[in-house]
Amino acid sequence: MAVLTKAEAPPPPPGRRRLLYRLQVLRHDPTAALGLILVVVLGYLVVAPLVAVLSDSARLQYGDEIHAGQRPGEWTGYYLWRVFRSQISGLLFWEPLLNTLVVAVGTTLFALIVGGGMAWLVTRTNVPGRKWLAGALVVPYMLPSWTFSLAWLTLFKNERAAGQVGILQSVGIRTPDWLAYGPLPIIVTLGLHYYPFVLLLVGNALRRIDVQLEDSARILGAPQRTVIRRIVVPLMLPALSSAVLLVIGRVLGTFGTPYVLGLPADYRVLSTGLFQSIRDRSTGVASVIAMVIVAIGILIVLADTRMMREHRRFVTVGGKGAMDRLSDLRRWRWPAFALGVVVFLVSVLVPVLTLLLSTVTRTPLDLSTFTLDYWLAERLPGAVGFPHGVFRGSELWAAAWNSLRIVGLASIICAVLGLLIGYVVVRGTAPRVAAFLRQVSFLPYLIPGIAFAAASLSLFAVARGPIPALYGTTFLLILVMAVTHLPYSSRSGIAAMTQLGREPEEAAQIAGASWWQRMSRIVFPIQKGALVTGIILPFVSGLKELSIVIMLTTTGTQLLTTLSIGLVDYGYTQLANAVVLVIALVSFTMTYLTQRLTNSSLASGLGG
Amino acid sequence: MPNITLSGVAKSYGGHDYAVRNLDLTIPDGAFMCLLGPSGCGKTTTLRMIAGLEQPSAGTIAVGDRILDSVEHGRYVPPEKRGMGLVFQNYALWPHLSIRENVEFGLRMRKVPGPERRARAEEALRMVHVDAAMDRYPSQLSGGQQQRVALARMLAINPEVLLLDEPLSNLDAQLRLEMRAELKRIHEESGATIVFVTHDQLEALTMATDIAVMNQGELQQLAAPMDMYDRPANRFVAEFVGSPPMAIVDTGPEPGGLAGSLLRHVAARAECVPAAVGIRPEALRFGPPPAGAWHEEATVEAVLPAGSSWTVRLRILDTDLYAVSYTPVDSAPGDTVTCWTERMHLFDADGARIAAWDEAGVAA
Ligand SMILES: Nc1ncnc2c1ncn2[C@@H]1O[C@H](COP(=O)(O)OP(=O)(O)OP(=O)(O)O)[C@@H](O)[C@H]1O
Ligand SMILES: [Mg+2]
Repeated sequence: MAVLTKAEAPPPPPGRRRLLYRLQVLRHDPTAALGLILVVVLGYLVVAPLVAVLSDSARLQYGDEIHAGQRPGEWTGYYLWRVFRSQISGLLFWEPLLNTLVVAVGTTLFALIVGGGMAWLVTRTNVPGRKWLAGALVVPYMLPSWTFSLAWLTLFKNERAAGQVGILQSVGIRTPDWLAYGPLPIIVTLGLHYYPFVLLLVGNALRRIDVQLEDSARILGAPQRTVIRRIVVPLMLPALSSAVLLVIGRVLGTFGTPYVLGLPADYRVLSTGLFQSIRDRSTGVASVIAMVIVAIGILIVLADTRMMREHRRFVTVGGKGAMDRLSDLRRWRWPAFALGVVVFLVSVLVPVLTLLLSTVTRTPLDLSTFTLDYWLAERLPGAVGFPHGVFRGSELWAAAWNSLRIVGLASIICAVLGLLIGYVVVRGTAPRVAAFLRQVSFLPYLIPGIAFAAASLSLFAVARGPIPALYGTTFLLILVMAVTHLPYSSRSGIAAMTQLGREPEEAAQIAGASWWQRMSRIVFPIQKGALVTGIILPFVSGLKELSIVIMLTTTGTQLLTTLSIGLVDYGYTQLANAVVLVIALVSFTMTYLTQRLTNSSLASGLGG
Repeated sequence: MPNITLSGVAKSYGGHDYAVRNLDLTIPDGAFMCLLGPSGCGKTTTLRMIAGLEQPSAGTIAVGDRILDSVEHGRYVPPEKRGMGLVFQNYALWPHLSIRENVEFGLRMRKVPGPERRARAEEALRMVHVDAAMDRYPSQLSGGQQQRVALARMLAINPEVLLLDEPLSNLDAQLRLEMRAELKRIHEESGATIVFVTHDQLEALTMATDIAVMNQGELQQLAAPMDMYDRPANRFVAEFVGSPPMAIVDTGPEPGGLAGSLLRHVAARAECVPAAVGIRPEALRFGPPPAGAWHEEATVEAVLPAGSSWTVRLRILDTDLYAVSYTPVDSAPGDTVTCWTERMHLFDADGARIAAWDEAGVAA
């Protein structure tokens, strides 16, 4: 009976039988087919736009024949030359690049100082009201990033740009251009939006460092200074470098603030330059700029992963040991608290109140001119493009409905895709398909949204094969928005499915359930929680999304965010402020409720 | 249901290593077959292939002449159509369904009407003593209770083939005895075929009608429990089945010490020259040896009483080995005793067992 023959690979069965077998397996377990479909979908939605934008940057576009002396569609270095070496390349590229770097570095420093300081305050000191401060100080991140820029204009604007002047100017204090527009206000307002980011990342890292580590170093005789240099700083480095790189990455792709505060002073950054080029229909140039943004974005994330890897050995330090021991600030306790409150005031209360005030008075600060006209009036004299309060007429409601519909559908698609990717990865029937899905679904993370939107325009602006031109359709908006949020949902989908494992589904299979029954009665119901979070997080961040949609909306498909920017363009300051307040209110409420209901932390939704 | 046959079944998870190789196994109708082997030897893989959750890389799995799975024949029957029950090693209960719903699920899939479904679910849960927790959720049960719910979930659908992957591993000794008896009763009453995976050889010996011992993806021996114990096919089986394990002494090119002593005894009576000689602990006895038995002086190193038996660690010449006695041992460590045996197992150089030597001469 004993079978002790050494295993020889048996002769392979004839190809036809093997195929027949595979087909039968496939019929009953469509995971592999599902995987292939996902590969095609992701390939088309993620990889193809990048290929298209790359090809657009290197092929002659219609309309440029005379300048370039080539025929449309031919391979050309014309756009590279135009962007990097021509007479106007300073204007097109180098200046915006420099400006982008200035803004990025400035914003990062600002965010690091404010965010880092506040993180230390709320995690490691006995400042009064720590819990409250810790919660209140992340609120700026729940508001659309350009809320602050509108508030800034409301305060500091001078006559240079269209629309009502700011509060200071109206009470007779002249505001110079450098204070009203350009790098300084951009850095401050972006810094105010992004410091919570640093606060969360650094705060988490500080919380993880075991005070016992510091103590033991001190017991061994190390002076305080050495402890900080040798213990605390190295332990903090991964979080710090992550925060820095991610803030830079975000600033690189942000559109609203530099548009609102930069353009009146002709201060251009890469994102606004890209937008301008697309507006001007210089597709080739826009493609080159988009490629540059993509390249910088990829470099940043690669640098981040590299740093993380180098610092990996530090990360799992410390348990919950003596964590509750906090630095005693003594008589600085209340001043420190005051500082925290000031930061909250400046980053939340002042901007929001400024915006609110501006919408309820005709003359800034003059409460005797109190009016609700900007919200409710049937007719607003002087505003031709939007001749009534925001709640009147159909514009706001149409935009709100569009936002809800488009962002909602995108979020649902995104969450379902994420779970399906997780499902295919965990079932593991096709390791190569799984690896492809894992990597490609993460790819949009490397690419600032505005560049990705430009890339999608390249692909979908014209009909290609059986797929019609999608520019201006809500369908395109939904697709692009879903894809840009895919990295987060696919990661959480993979995590959720890995945690579940495949046995529960197999148990249902054994019990006699078909694939549909397994999916609808077992897999998706078990993952209900993950699915809900996977929908809500992209939804909240998508509601305040501007950089992506600004490239893709037309007048037919206004969203709340583009409506507000459009009003800024017209110079209807109060109306724009009113709309942004609506967005801020919705987005804050939803984020807050989500955190309350799902116990998820904002840090996991940093995608916005 | 007719016999389940596996012929030439192999499984590799990509790469060159085979989790299971060249497995030929027939599981007779109504058998209680134990798959026994050390961790990682391919027991779970084999079970999953029978259930249809894993597709073999080669070979054929069939029930009677109905082919369930065969690349060579281009046929595959999915798990949900095989009508087998499976208890997973890690239970795999559905966390979003209550215990009752978990157990009812399979019946629902079979479109069993409501009242009957409830009755059958309750009966299955009663059988495994978790009927009190019927409306709780899996996360509110202990590991042992979850394991029993997994059993009930399978029993409720009354399958003709029951596949169990270490279903009793998480139970305390008392409960395990009870569940073993229960399983044996279910087996006898229903006439179902049971394939039972375990790495506990005692469990295999007490419950199985047939045992298949596996090692590194290969079947080592297929036999009835006592045959397996008395006539292990090779050194691996001999050492794996039985506790404490059989002592096996390599003779080597120049046998001295215990090996030399054993070999001289064997060589005087048989033609073969074994490469190794094995003695089961309970075959090693104390006291004056009967005529013709092998015997040697031994030093007692430790006595380990276990209630009904006594395990004694001995040093004979140059080798340590264990003896098990079912009568009280009154020697103390350091004492010298005479020990003898009339039964040894002889192995050839490849590890295959060639014969057993006992008082009646060389026996197969
Ligand atoms: N999905 C898989 N992918 C790759 N290798 C696997 C996979 N599942 C099992 N193996 C390998 O196949 C071999 C047999 O695994 P199997 O789970 O069948 O062992 P087992 O006998 O059930 O062990 P245990 O008693 O620990 O449960 C092991 O070496 C294991 O590492
Ligand atoms: Mg196993």
